[in-house]
Amino acid sequence: MALKGLDIFKLSPKKNCKECGSPTCMAFCMKVAQGAVEIDKCPYFSDEAKAMLNEQTAPAMKTISVGEHKLGGETVLFRHEKTLVNKNLFAVSVCTCMDEATVDAKLADMAKVDYERIGERMYVEFVQVANTQNDPAVYANLVKKAAATGRSLILECWDVECAKAALAVCGKDVILDGATPENWEAMNAVATEAGVTLGVWAENISDLYDTVKKLEEKGNKNLVVDVTGKTAKETLANAVLVRRTAIKDGDRSFGYPSIVNLAKLAKGDAHLQTAYASMFTEKYASIIVMSGMSYAQALPLYGLRQNIYTDPQKPMKVEAKIYPLNGADENSPCCLTVDFALTYFLVSGELERSNQPVNLIITDASGMSVLTAWAAGKFSSTTVKKTFEELDIANKIKNRTLIIPGKVAVMKGEIQEKLPEWNVVVGPLEAVQLPKYMKDKEYEAAAKAAAAENAAKATTAVEVKELSFDELLATKVPAIEVKEWDAQYKGYNPESSTFVTIGERIHCIAPSIRKAMDERDPEPILQRAYEQIKAGATYLDVNIGPAEKDGPERMMWAVKLLQENFNNVPLALDTANMKAIEAGIKVYNRTNGKPIVNSADAGSRIGYIDLAAANDAICIALCSADGIAKDNEERMMHCDNMLERGLSLGMDATDLWFDPLFLVVKGMQDKQMEVLEAIKMFSEKGLKSTGGLSNNSNGAPKDVRPIMDSALVAMCMMQGLTSAIVNPNDRRLMETIKSCDIFKNHVLYSDSYLDL
Amino acid sequence: MSFVPKTAPFSGKINAVTLGTGDKAITIGGQNVLPFYTFDAAIENAPKIGIEISDTADQWDVAGLTELYAGCTTMAERAAKAETVEGADFICLVFESADPNGDNRPVADCVADAKAVAEVVTKPIVVMGCKHLEKDAELFGAIAEALAGKNVLFMSAKNENYKTVGASVALANNQKVGAETADDINLAKQLNIMLKGLNVPAESIVMNIGCAAVGYGYEYVASTLDRVRLAALAQSDADLQMPIIATVSADTWAVKESTASEEDEPAWGNREERGIDMEVSTAAANLTGGADAVIMRHPVAIATIKKFIAELV
Repeated sequence: MALKGLDIFKLSPKKNCKECGSPTCMAFCMKVAQGAVEIDKCPYFSDEAKAMLNEQTAPAMKTISVGEHKLGGETVLFRHEKTLVNKNLFAVSVCTCMDEATVDAKLADMAKVDYERIGERMYVEFVQVANTQNDPAVYANLVKKAAATGRSLILECWDVECAKAALAVCGKDVILDGATPENWEAMNAVATEAGVTLGVWAENISDLYDTVKKLEEKGNKNLVVDVTGKTAKETLANAVLVRRTAIKDGDRSFGYPSIVNLAKLAKGDAHLQTAYASMFTEKYASIIVMSGMSYAQALPLYGLRQNIYTDPQKPMKVEAKIYPLNGADENSPCCLTVDFALTYFLVSGELERSNQPVNLIITDASGMSVLTAWAAGKFSSTTVKKTFEELDIANKIKNRTLIIPGKVAVMKGEIQEKLPEWNVVVGPLEAVQLPKYMKDKEYEAAAKAAAAENAAKATTAVEVKELSFDELLATKVPAIEVKEWDAQYKGYNPESSTFVTIGERIHCIAPSIRKAMDERDPEPILQRAYEQIKAGATYLDVNIGPAEKDGPERMMWAVKLLQENFNNVPLALDTANMKAIEAGIKVYNRTNGKPIVNSADAGSRIGYIDLAAANDAICIALCSADGIAKDNEERMMHCDNMLERGLSLGMDATDLWFDPLFLVVKGMQDKQMEVLEAIKMFSEKGLKSTGGLSNNSNGAPKDVRPIMDSALVAMCMMQGLTSAIVNPNDRRLMETIKSCDIFKNHVLYSDSYLDL
Repeated sequence: MSFVPKTAPFSGKINAVTLGTGDKAITIGGQNVLPFYTFDAAIENAPKIGIEISDTADQWDVAGLTELYAGCTTMAERAAKAETVEGADFICLVFESADPNGDNRPVADCVADAKAVAEVVTKPIVVMGCKHLEKDAELFGAIAEALAGKNVLFMSAKNENYKTVGASVALANNQKVGAETADDINLAKQLNIMLKGLNVPAESIVMNIGCAAVGYGYEYVASTLDRVRLAALAQSDADLQMPIIATVSADTWAVKESTASEEDEPAWGNREERGIDMEVSTAAANLTGGADAVIMRHPVAIATIKKFIAELV
């Protein structure tokens, strides 16, 4: 098992003396785990710990590089456990037993399969050259021919003289698949001298293991194992046992990439080879050797490989660009959607079914689906405008009809404003409605109307000057009416160690709040604030949506509205518009605590830390960059990076509230304990933490969610969680939190502690 | 020093479910190891292949299928022909044209077709509907009654209609029921619990955990298969120990790789070959992941997968 930085950290002196040159022991250990620093740089590690680490730091399965290709390096048996690292590669086999014309035809056919699919080049990476004649000159000749293709080579050759002759005529990106229980010593010398990877094969798995052991004893660990058996059944057994022995049992002598030779197992049956190759893509081949690779085989096999080897925590993305469909040209209308691969396949499939020429424009949305991307601010009029500029769409397409997904009808106005020459039309809600929509040209009337509106606007357009916050406050923020409430905010002492609840119910994802924010209607917002305050919320989160257009005045209004009505209740300001947060802080009253900036991450939202630092605010720091962190090592790396940034900008460490990112049980059940462990790590570093805890129970029945949330919050508080973004009107949850605060000795017990 | 592989079956076991009657009856499931892991323990029952006959089969336009069914005009004629295809273990009837949003074929007509098929074939029958929740529930109930005693599998009961389907198919007529979910292990478990709650015996339930053509989000299918199988075997989760059927052909023959003409994609070569390889690859991937049966269409693809299974068990 590969040792993680955190495992090393457990053995470290934890002095943070900086003598090694790293700011903290944790940072040092991370670097050791990555192999960037020698452990001897630290003078305080005990010899015992060092010896243990040296033995354990070797990964269970080696990564072997052949030219530009990487093989192996896997850490799990199933992709859902973490992710598979290095995709399997394909080879086409040629042999000295073939005549020249056959070889030429095979290599020419192989070269034809070379295309791109979702940003990945699909081609046959290796040529496998089999030696059956044992004539060095003949073999070298064939190898030369194979090398001329420019592909990496697998030399299946058990004869030492032939191997030498072959290696003399080809480059270094070669696997010499030639060691057997009989010849391993001589073959090892040949491979080592040439500096190439050595492949090992034996009649049975036991001899294979012994031969690998002997080669390792000679010091050669640049190996691959050829697990091809006499039958497909035996080969599958070998492939699984080799991988399972390495990863599950931790026996590194089988921790090498594997070759499966289907040219031997399914001679002459191309369809059967497709079936076998599909199986070995899922079950542990690193290189699959085929007797040929036609398009009919490549299309499913490369598609399957791409699916199996995608990171389960990072969605597949397609390239942002114009996809002309059904013979579309510059005069065809345009449909817009996001770059999530499944969205693309669905939408392009339906558009193709319509048989209408249309340009599908894919915009960069970090691989999220339409609504998720919109809510995260990754699919907004700004990101759309950026795509249009980067792809120079206005010059490439003359037609000005732009159909946007029905699910983001709210964006129509904003997109129209950012792209004034286009006629923006709201398309159907679901992709399945597209064929009819396109065939019946339902967009035409709407496009005409948009064009007329644009023309009218053009004649009345005036230069709009950007106003300062003070000017906005004076002119654009309606006066606040303060009402009498029968429950008031009781005040909060930021020094207290009681659990901080951040009420999540003022959120633009709720249609009533979205409408109220748009219309500056105080009622629905105040009502939800009142309910949350009455239930005992410490902070209130204020989500005003992406708010691209009028963010600053919106946020100023919301902050004043809530604070003036509720005794300066402290707030978390939540929007993708940074200017809006800045404006909100300008009018914020700090009596009951600093404002919270919600939120920064270690990726594209790192700038929120700077914003919080510049405005003396607390900042929620989400420990992910793009997508969910794959393990706690990555989470803590993000944590350290954000902490360093905050501290260098003069923030207090306790003003950064780290969010491990709570994961939904339905789907990521096996990752829950990792999240809890991350909270403990924050706590052990003396850091504060928070997060959207109720995400864990997303999709669970309504009556079950409070039970799950309560159980989780108790476990989290045990681990040291200091705050959570929750629904304060969930009574069971709030009572659990109050009870935990009693057990943690944060609040002195009295019989009526629940009522306080 | 020599290598002794650590091999062991799991304590959990997949339920063995029998479909059909007489000497052509088949049993799927029954094993206590991952697919084709014969080195851990013998595979109780080899995976099976169903051949798909749709009531829209006259629209199938690749040569291998038009030749196979040449001269056939009814579902029964096609089914009789399908039964002779090498490798087909059971017949899968699909009543696509029953869809109220499409041809809205009456239930009585579909029942007549199903009865006619049952008279000419001896292999087990699986019935699929039109994916319209209410119509399917009605259709399945009627066919279940008409084919009483034939031990037919109906695909499928979903979260929205499992009560009606479970009651009419499994309880009233003692047939087998498929539980269909879409790449969601939690929902798959829940649906099985609900069906058992209706008093449907666990041995009458088969799962369809969702399918996709390779290249088209198949990663979700692959991981759901892995997780369902590990829960059933390693955790002995009795609510996930039902055998799995994958409906391969409907997905693979609808994607671009199988439908694009040679004019549109000259580099790709023969369209029929592409369709066969898409079907073969998706079926093999499903069987490797955990499917105990696959539903397929093309005779060449079926023969290939039959050989694949025979080589591996």
